[in-house]
Amino acid sequence: MPRPPELLRYGLLSLPGLFVGTFLLVPAGLTFVISFWERKGFSLHPAFSFASYAAFFSGVRLEVLQISLLLAVIVTLLGLLLAYPVSYFLAYRVRPRTSRTWLFLLSVPFVINPVIRNFALAYILGRTGPVNQMVLALGLTDRPIDWLLFSNFAVVLGLVVSYVPFMIYPLWLSLAGIDRRFVEASWMLGVPPGQTFRKVTLPLSLPGIFAAAIFGFVGTFGESTVPIILGGLGYQLMGNTITSALDVLNYPSAAAMSSVVTISMLVFLLIWYRLFDIRGFMGKIVQT
Amino acid sequence: MSVRASALTRAVSWIFLSAFLAVLYLPLLPPVLTSVSPGGHNPDLSGVTFRWYAELPVNPVLTGSIATSIKVALIVGLVTPPLALLGAMAVRELRLRRLLLLLLLLPLFIPGVSLGLASAFFFSQLGIQPSLWTVGVVNVMWALPFAFLIVLTAMSTFDPIYLEAAYVHGAGRLRAFLNVELPLIWPGVLGSATFSIIISFNETVRTALVQGPLNTVQTYIWSRFLQAGLTPQIYALMSVMILLTLALILGLLLGNLHRGRS
Repeated sequence: MPRPPELLRYGLLSLPGLFVGTFLLVPAGLTFVISFWERKGFSLHPAFSFASYAAFFSGVRLEVLQISLLLAVIVTLLGLLLAYPVSYFLAYRVRPRTSRTWLFLLSVPFVINPVIRNFALAYILGRTGPVNQMVLALGLTDRPIDWLLFSNFAVVLGLVVSYVPFMIYPLWLSLAGIDRRFVEASWMLGVPPGQTFRKVTLPLSLPGIFAAAIFGFVGTFGESTVPIILGGLGYQLMGNTITSALDVLNYPSAAAMSSVVTISMLVFLLIWYRLFDIRGFMGKIVQT
Repeated sequence: MSVRASALTRAVSWIFLSAFLAVLYLPLLPPVLTSVSPGGHNPDLSGVTFRWYAELPVNPVLTGSIATSIKVALIVGLVTPPLALLGAMAVRELRLRRLLLLLLLLPLFIPGVSLGLASAFFFSQLGIQPSLWTVGVVNVMWALPFAFLIVLTAMSTFDPIYLEAAYVHGAGRLRAFLNVELPLIWPGVLGSATFSIIISFNETVRTALVQGPLNTVQTYIWSRFLQAGLTPQIYALMSVMILLTLALILGLLLGNLHRGRS
């Protein structure tokens, strides 16, 4: 039987876990339950109905799901292609002090509201924006380019810019945590740099790649403001389809779509959890 | 030859990195330039005016939203760091630390809409009216993983052997923590508070779904945009947010530098 001070200590230490459990896990479970409820008029009725899912998977919204998935995959891949070289460079090619400064500089824009940054992007890409002005001034076309804004291009660009800063940190963390002796051993055995990278560095940075991919994918898949700002009228991704279901008070439908997003995210997270030891990945900041 | 090749890769790398940084930072400029333009709808450097800023304090809905934002920032700044600190200590001292780590990082992985929606359902089913506190809970949830990671990083530089030393000299757990560990990781705790406030200051979607009749500055900007598009006043407000965030970060940086020197 622990003494009272010990009880108090355990109580305090379990507070953060309880907080996340109560205000995140329980609500997420509740959302899943509500997705089976029925909507009568403007109120909710407990039921066990697959109507919301049936409507979702048979209607035009299935297309929204497919496009959201496709865009999320494209944005994640583009993000990795951009973030990996940056993280690699910061982890191996610059002094630790400099790399900290760069990491800091890269994370500052991320804390500025993405909504504000995407408003700015909409202006930059617009018909009268600086990009079109420059193209016109250079005489590359005689009319403003229309597909820059309110297009798939704009949405992908907005999503990549919004989520790339999110992807650099886990990549850098796993790359910087790799024991240099593995790379040196490979080098001493006469393996060329390219092959060393493919056979040693890349596989060892997989936990970071996977973590970065989850960040990019989850963020993109559930994003609700970018499609509205940069996609234009009628551009639908999962995120803003959920909010528009809320606007017409169709709660079970919103709950069903939100559950699809959350569950797909949980699946990725579980794979990550099974495949890699998070402590190994965060080796630099968690003592084991 | 190889020296030249590596110099070339180096140059390319730096150019790539600088371009990358430019793409991330350039979008911060247009709203600020627009906010001081006479026209107020496009960056126009033919003149500089602060009239759009002068019109901000006149709007009662807006001033109300600023007050709400400040109150939420206070809640988040005061509640999140102790939670993050307890979480980091729990990961060090309790069993099932891998699971606990995952649990405390979970809010990062839930899309904003889903977190907001789930919280809205949760509060409404319990009969809890939207208030400062529902907004506070959602914002603390979103800030917690960041604060947690910052405190974890700070604690990783602390050697627990100092705690052992304190125990040997007869200090209890609480006393050892307060007198030995806390002062050493204090910069991390302060950093987590500042970062939590920045996070909550820039949050839109999660807040919008649980705020009820309230408004924060961010949700005010978003709802104005949905109703009427962007106005000169909104540009001024966005610039205030950008500059305030940058100022907070600069303060954090200077604080760290100062501490590093002394």
